[in-house]
Amino acid sequence: MRLIGYIAFLVLLFGGCAKEPQMSDQIVKVISSCGNSDIAVTDIKGRKKSDGFMQAQVIGENRSDNYQLLEYQIIWFDKEGFKIESILSKYNTVPAYANQPFQINAISPNTKATTFRLYIKSQKEVICDEQYNGH
Amino acid sequence: MRRTIQWTLILAALGVLFSGCETKTTNIDIDNDKGDAVMGLDYRDFQGAAQDMIESLLASGAVDKKNGERYVLVVSRIVNDTMQHIDTDQLVKKIRVGLLQSGKVVVTTAVGLKGAEDEMSMHARETLRGNTEFDQKSVAGKGSMIAPDLSLSGKILQRSIKVDSKTQRVEYYFQMSLTEIKTGLAYWEDERIVAKRGSNKAVSW
Repeated sequence: MRLIGYIAFLVLLFGGCAKEPQMSDQIVKVISSCGNSDIAVTDIKGRKKSDGFMQAQVIGENRSDNYQLLEYQIIWFDKEGFKIESILSKYNTVPAYANQPFQINAISPNTKATTFRLYIKSQKEVICDEQYNGH
Repeated sequence: MRRTIQWTLILAALGVLFSGCETKTTNIDIDNDKGDAVMGLDYRDFQGAAQDMIESLLASGAVDKKNGERYVLVVSRIVNDTMQHIDTDQLVKKIRVGLLQSGKVVVTTAVGLKGAEDEMSMHARETLRGNTEFDQKSVAGKGSMIAPDLSLSGKILQRSIKVDSKTQRVEYYFQMSLTEIKTGLAYWEDERIVAKRGSNKAVSW
């Protein structure tokens, strides 16, 4: 019986090296307003450049006392509201220093873009979701 | 009887013991990958570098041809000066796709440093021209190919620095240039740095 006890102990000991099953966390929490967290978007604007590309500029503010590396994504839409698929719509990073404003500048993937939607993630959660409709 | 039960329990316990250490294979959600960073370059680094390079290039106006036509681009040498076995197409292909999607640039595959990138584009022309089995009106005639206006070149560098006995820092530099072939002038250049800090035991090659 003592032998069984040893084995049970070893199982418990080495059981710790088993990988925890990963939770599916593909669905992120979306908070519609950007003012509810420490990260706030204060200005969002876009313009058509002379070469036809659309330029986006977003100004935000980190109202916390901590530096945050934010992730942002800009989805571009054409005039009919269809999403323009592009590598430029992958998540990118922007530094947001404590109690400082931060800026995001982006360029559309082609000249068909007329509007864009911005998502900002902090700690892997979407905390900001804003749309620029050209006015 | 008691001995049989003991052995059964021992074998069952050993089974549990060894199966517990096995890493389960899972697909990575590349749009939401929360996996830890690695000391070497992974797809996230290439994606980030390509994204920044395309954005920088389009914002610079260097690919905006005055009469609204598209520039013809040829991909030159992208040097891998790292300790890793990198296929530089991991970076270049993304940039090519992004530029093509911009509608401002087309890429020629008929020209390359080691001959045509798409060998068939030259081979088909040469072998089909004059071949009576083919309607010669459908065969590309001489002088119909378009020469490139711009050349994209670059380099990926690596610097490994030992911070202390346990820690190392690895810096990767993605450098790219866009040169007008006619004048030899670089219309656009940019650099992106990816820096990583980790254990000395981690290998970055």
